[in-house]
Amino acid sequence: LSHHSSFLGGRIPPEIESMSKNLKDVDQELFRKLLKVVVSALEGKDCREVMKSVAESSVIPQERLSHIIAGMHRVLSEAIRIPASLLKQEAFKEDLRELRRATLEAASSQNDPHLPTLEEFKWRVDVSISTSSLARALQPSVLMQLKLSDGSFQRFEVPVSKFQELRYNVALILKEMNDLEKRSILKIQD
Amino acid sequence: MTSIIKETQSIKEAVNFINTVDVNKFSRLLSRIIQKLHVKGERTFSEEEEEKLQAALTLDKHALDLVLETTAFILEQAVYHSIKPASLQQQLEEIHLNSDKAEVFSQAWASAGPELVEKLKRNIFAPKKLDYVSWQLNLQMAQSSQARMKCPSAVLQLGVRNEDSESVSDLLIHLRFSSLSLEHLTSWYC
Repeated sequence: LSHHSSFLGGRIPPEIESMSKNLKDVDQELFRKLLKVVVSALEGKDCREVMKSVAESSVIPQERLSHIIAGMHRVLSEAIRIPASLLKQEAFKEDLRELRRATLEAASSQNDPHLPTLEEFKWRVDVSISTSSLARALQPSVLMQLKLSDGSFQRFEVPVSKFQELRYNVALILKEMNDLEKRSILKIQD
Repeated sequence: MTSIIKETQSIKEAVNFINTVDVNKFSRLLSRIIQKLHVKGERTFSEEEEEKLQAALTLDKHALDLVLETTAFILEQAVYHSIKPASLQQQLEEIHLNSDKAEVFSQAWASAGPELVEKLKRNIFAPKKLDYVSWQLNLQMAQSSQARMKCPSAVLQLGVRNEDSESVSDLLIHLRFSSLSLEHLTSWYC
């Protein structure tokens, strides 16, 4: 999905993302059963009975199942939209395989130790017009608000000089990462 | 320009005392006061030093306090209005300060003033401010859920200073880039 433009287009739709999150503990057999139900539904058949029996016979809570069904439905309907001539079967299969792999990886790595990641970033530029010490201060500064993956919000001001420092360091990280990708250290024998 | 010092009764009294002080001694006094201006919570002179000053300038405690306070006040007003040295000199003469003292004020202001204003502009308070930026670039080789990774990831450490407690708290953020976004970002940013 990251190497060529997949049939899903640029962004992954939310139903598919939430399906990914809910696929943990879902075995191959259940996955197939659910897929069959979705296909029948797309074909126009009434599958309420089948769905009920699948739901009852599985240990997965109904809410999670519904996320998975919604995701599958989205995947398949998106695929169907694309005319058969354009959707190469091999590429489609590969996309699906990668999707499944990626979702499993994401689900299982949730328990690994990790630091919070950046989920949302907002900023604004303020100008201090005057203060108790200065009638005309006219000092710009950046206000940043970060939402982290651990749910916390961090809000702080960044004076212009610090902003330059931040910018410089981030550019340095990017450059180092880029160099790293090209260096022979990545050719460590597997 | 509107006058920055209103000639109140206490100003008149202070000016009279200042006019009795030897000009060289006053010049040194002024430099010391400017240095310590706007430094939070610190007294310009210790109690001992004040006693010595009383003797050196032949002023009693009340007079010395008034002189020190008024001198500081004049300087604070000069900063607040970002007044030009020539204007300051003129206005001081208008409140009947001797011209030699007015000149001393003006010279001290000309040399130390701009830096003082800059310092204040940089120090505008904010509840939380970014204090420092540091980072670490790692190559993740494996984790409990996944073997044989070769995943570059960076940890960004942002030191955020809290205005009240003067303590700096660390914000650690994990950054991961897919190879596609890395190339894109590097070419745009670096």
